[in-house]
Amino acid sequence: MSDAASPGSGQSRWWGILAAAGVIAVLPLIFPDSYWRTNLIICALNVMLAIGLDFVLGFAGQLNLGQSAFYGIGAYVSTLLIMRLGLPFWAAFVCGVAASAASGMALSLFAVRLRGHYLAIASLGFAVITYQVLLNWISLTQGPLGIYAIAPPPAIALPGLPAIDFTNLASLFYLVAGFALIAYVLLDQLVRSPVGETLTAIREDEVSAASLGIDCRAWKVFAFGIGSAVAGAAGCFYASFVGTLVPDAFFITESFTILAMVIVGGMGTLVGPVAGAILLTVLPELLRGIGDWRLIVYGAALTLVVLFMPGGIAQAVRLARDRLARPRSRAVAGVGR
Amino acid sequence: MLTVAVQQGINGLVVGSLYVLVALGLTLIYGVLVQINFAHADIVTLGAFSAYFFTHALGGGYLPSIGVALVVGAAFGFLINAAVFAPLRERGNELLPLIATIGVSVMLENGMLAWFGPIPYAFDSPYSDQVIRFAGTFITVQSLLIMAVSAATIGLLYAFMKFTFLGKALRAVAQDRETAGLMGINPNQLIMLTFVIASALAGMGGAMLGPVLVLTPFAGASVIVKAFAIVIIGGFGNVEGTIIAGLIVGLIESYTTQVLGPGLIDIVVFALLLLMLAVRPTGLIAERREENV
Amino acid sequence: MTGAPPIFHAAGLCKNFGGVRAVHDISLAVAPASVFAIIGPNGAGKSTLLNLMSGIYRPDAGSVLLEDRDVTGLPAHARVRRGLARTFQKIRLFKQLSVIDNVIAGFHTHHRIPAWQYVWHGGAFQADRARCRAQAAELLAFVGLERRAHALAGALAYGEQRMLEVARALATAPRLLLIDEPAAGLNAAEVEALLDRIRVLRGRGMAVVVVEHNMDLVMNVADRVLVMDYGELLFEGTPRDVQAHPDVIAAYLGAGP
Repeated sequence: MSDAASPGSGQSRWWGILAAAGVIAVLPLIFPDSYWRTNLIICALNVMLAIGLDFVLGFAGQLNLGQSAFYGIGAYVSTLLIMRLGLPFWAAFVCGVAASAASGMALSLFAVRLRGHYLAIASLGFAVITYQVLLNWISLTQGPLGIYAIAPPPAIALPGLPAIDFTNLASLFYLVAGFALIAYVLLDQLVRSPVGETLTAIREDEVSAASLGIDCRAWKVFAFGIGSAVAGAAGCFYASFVGTLVPDAFFITESFTILAMVIVGGMGTLVGPVAGAILLTVLPELLRGIGDWRLIVYGAALTLVVLFMPGGIAQAVRLARDRLARPRSRAVAGVGR
Repeated sequence: MLTVAVQQGINGLVVGSLYVLVALGLTLIYGVLVQINFAHADIVTLGAFSAYFFTHALGGGYLPSIGVALVVGAAFGFLINAAVFAPLRERGNELLPLIATIGVSVMLENGMLAWFGPIPYAFDSPYSDQVIRFAGTFITVQSLLIMAVSAATIGLLYAFMKFTFLGKALRAVAQDRETAGLMGINPNQLIMLTFVIASALAGMGGAMLGPVLVLTPFAGASVIVKAFAIVIIGGFGNVEGTIIAGLIVGLIESYTTQVLGPGLIDIVVFALLLLMLAVRPTGLIAERREENV
Repeated sequence: MTGAPPIFHAAGLCKNFGGVRAVHDISLAVAPASVFAIIGPNGAGKSTLLNLMSGIYRPDAGSVLLEDRDVTGLPAHARVRRGLARTFQKIRLFKQLSVIDNVIAGFHTHHRIPAWQYVWHGGAFQADRARCRAQAAELLAFVGLERRAHALAGALAYGEQRMLEVARALATAPRLLLIDEPAAGLNAAEVEALLDRIRVLRGRGMAVVVVEHNMDLVMNVADRVLVMDYGELLFEGTPRDVQAHPDVIAAYLGAGP
C-alpha cells in the first residue's frame, strides 16, 4: 500500500510494535492481582478474535458472523484431543487451529456465490449450528455440563533458562499476548503487501477485481481461513486458561461482541480493532456499575459508531490528528481506511 | 396413525402461518430496500410483551392486545427506519445498515432482559383452553384464531400488493427505485410505509406467538432463525415464495418435533437453509436476475 | 489484415436472458495490432457481447478463443492471465483508493515475490514494490494523470476516471484490451485524447476492441467494424464499407417514413 495514510508506515511502525511489546512486558507488573490479570488475558484473546475478524470483514469485505463458531471449534477440538487422546498441548493447538481454519474455508467455499447479506446469514447459521452441536452432542462435548479440569499449557523448558511455568496468570498472559502480537504483525505484513491490495480490491468491487485477474472466490476462502485460524488459536488458549469449557462461551452473542469491537475500533485498519477489543473488554470492568448493561453498551456503541463515525476510533484519531496538524484547513472526510 | 399425522399437520400449519407473518416482514423490507433488519426478531418479542402487559397488567382483551402489538410493532419499525436506514441510505455501503441493526438488536434484547428479566412469562390466552374436536383431532380456539388472523392478514396484504395503487407503487420501488421516483412516487415514504407494515406484522406475530412460545426477551430470536430460513427458501422479496416456504417450515417443525428437540430442529432448519443457499440462493420461486455490468 | 492469426476469435455466440435474445449467433475475429469496433444502436447487445468476450457471462452457445486457446469455460479472472483486459461502461474504479493505488491493483497477476516474503518483506518484495510504483507512474503518464497520482480516485473528473480505468487495465499487461463505451460523458477534446492513446497502443502491437454507439468516433480509428442490431450481426467490414451499407444506415436512422 504505497499511498494510504496508514498510521506509521515504514520505520515508525516497528517502533510502535516495540512499544506494544514493552507495554505487554510491563502490564502484569502493574496489575499484580488475579482479577486484572484475568482481564488482561481476556483482552489479549479478544484482540486476536478482533483482528481475525477485521482481516475478513475490514479487508476482504465479508461480513462474517461466525467468529464465535471458529473460536469454539478451536477450543473444543484442542481440548478433546488433549483430554481424550492424550495429545501434547502444542500438537493439539496446531490441530485446533487447523480445524478452525478448515471450517472457515469450508464455510467460505460454501457461501462463495453469496453476496453480502446472504453470507452474513449463512455464517450466522453456521454459528448457530455449531453452538447447537456443542450443546447437544453430549457424548462428545458433555454439553452444558462442560469439560472440567483442563490443564494450562505445559511448562516450557528452554536450555539454559529456568522453565516457564504457565500455572500462573502472568506467564499465561505473556503467552497469549505474545501470540496476539505475533498474529498482529503477521496480518499487518500481509495487509501491507499485494495480498492486502487484492483483498481491498475484492472489498471495493468484486467485478472490477475479477477484471484485474483476481480470483475472488479463492481469495475470500483464503481470508476466511486466516481469520478463522486466528480465532481458533484464541480458542485453544481460552480453553487452557479458563479450565472449564462450556458451550455458552460460544453463543452467537460472542460474534456480535467481536463485531462491535471491530466496528468501534475501525474496520479495515487492523490497529483499530485492537483498540476496540481493549476498550470493550476493559471499559465494562472500569465502569463497575454496568455489569448487566455491558451488552446494551456494546449494542449502542455498535449502532452509534456506524451511524456517526463509521470508521470508528481509527477515524476519530485520524480526524483529530488532521485537525491538530492543519487547524485552518477543511475537515477531512473519510470512511474506514 | 393418520389422525396423528393430520393433527401434526394442523399444528404445523398454525405455527407455519405465524412464521409467515414474521417472515413476510423481512421479505417486504428486503424487496423494497435490499436490506435486512436484524432487529426484526426483537419487534416480534416487543409485540409479544406489549400484548402480554396489555392483557395481564391492564386487563385488556386478548383480541385487542393483538391490535396493541400491531401498533407497537409499527412504531418501532418507524423508529428503526427513521434512525438507522434512512440516514445510511446515502452512504451506499451495503453492509453498514445490517451491522447497525445488529447493534439495535443487541440493545433491544438486552434492554428487555434488564427490564423484564430472564424468567419466562406465562402468557395465557383465554382461548388456549377452549378446544374444538373433529374427526379424532383437536384444535384449540387459539390456534383457529391464529390461523384466521394470519390468513386474513396475509390475504389482505397480498391483495394490497397486487391490486391497490400503493401496493403497486411498493413493487415499483422494489424493482427500480430511481425510475419509481421519476414516476412521481416518493420512494422514501414508501420505504417507510413498508417498514411500518412489516414491523406491524412482526408485532402481531409476536402477540399471537406469545401464548405458544416461551416468552422471554429472546423469544423473537428463536423465531428469527426460522424466519431467515423461510425468507431465503422462499426467495428474498418474494411474497408468494415466503408464504409457501413458511408453511413448509411449520410442517417440517411439527413433524420432526416428536423425534428431535427444539435445538435440533434449529439445526435441521438451518441445514435446510444452507442447502438452499448452496443449490438455489435466489429461492424456490424467484426469478434469476443477472447482474447488470 | 497482416495475415497473422487472430488474437481473438468468437464463433456462434448466443446469450439469452429469460427469453430475450441479447446476442444471437455472433462470430468475429480480431487481428493483433488492430482496432476493432463494435457499434450499434442502444440495446443492440454490444455490452452483452463484450461481457461474453471477457468472461462475465457464459455463452448459451458458441465458443471463445484467445490466441487459439479455447477459453469459453474460463471465468473472467482467468482470462486476464491469458492477456485479456477490459474497462466498464459504468466506471468501476476503487473510489476510496488513490489513483496510483488503483493502477497498482492491476499488477495482481505480475508480482514476482516468493510466498514467504509476503510476510517477511525481504529484498524481492522491496524490488517488486519499487517496480510496481515505477510502472504505475509510467502508466499514469501515458494517460496524462501523472500529476494526480495521489488524489482519491473518486475525486477525479469523469473524463479522468475513464483514463484511469484504462491505465489500470493496461497494468495487467494485456495483449487484447476491451473498452466499453469509452466516449460516453467525455467532451470532444477528451475523446480525441483517448483515441490518440488507442492509436499508440495499436502501434505497440496491442489489439483493442472498442464498443461504441457513436459511429463517428470509431470511424476515425477502427480497422474493422462490426455492426450489431437486436443482438444479431448486421454487417462486418471496413469503416468505409460500413458507412455505405444501406442496412446500417437504416438501423441507425430508421427504415423510412
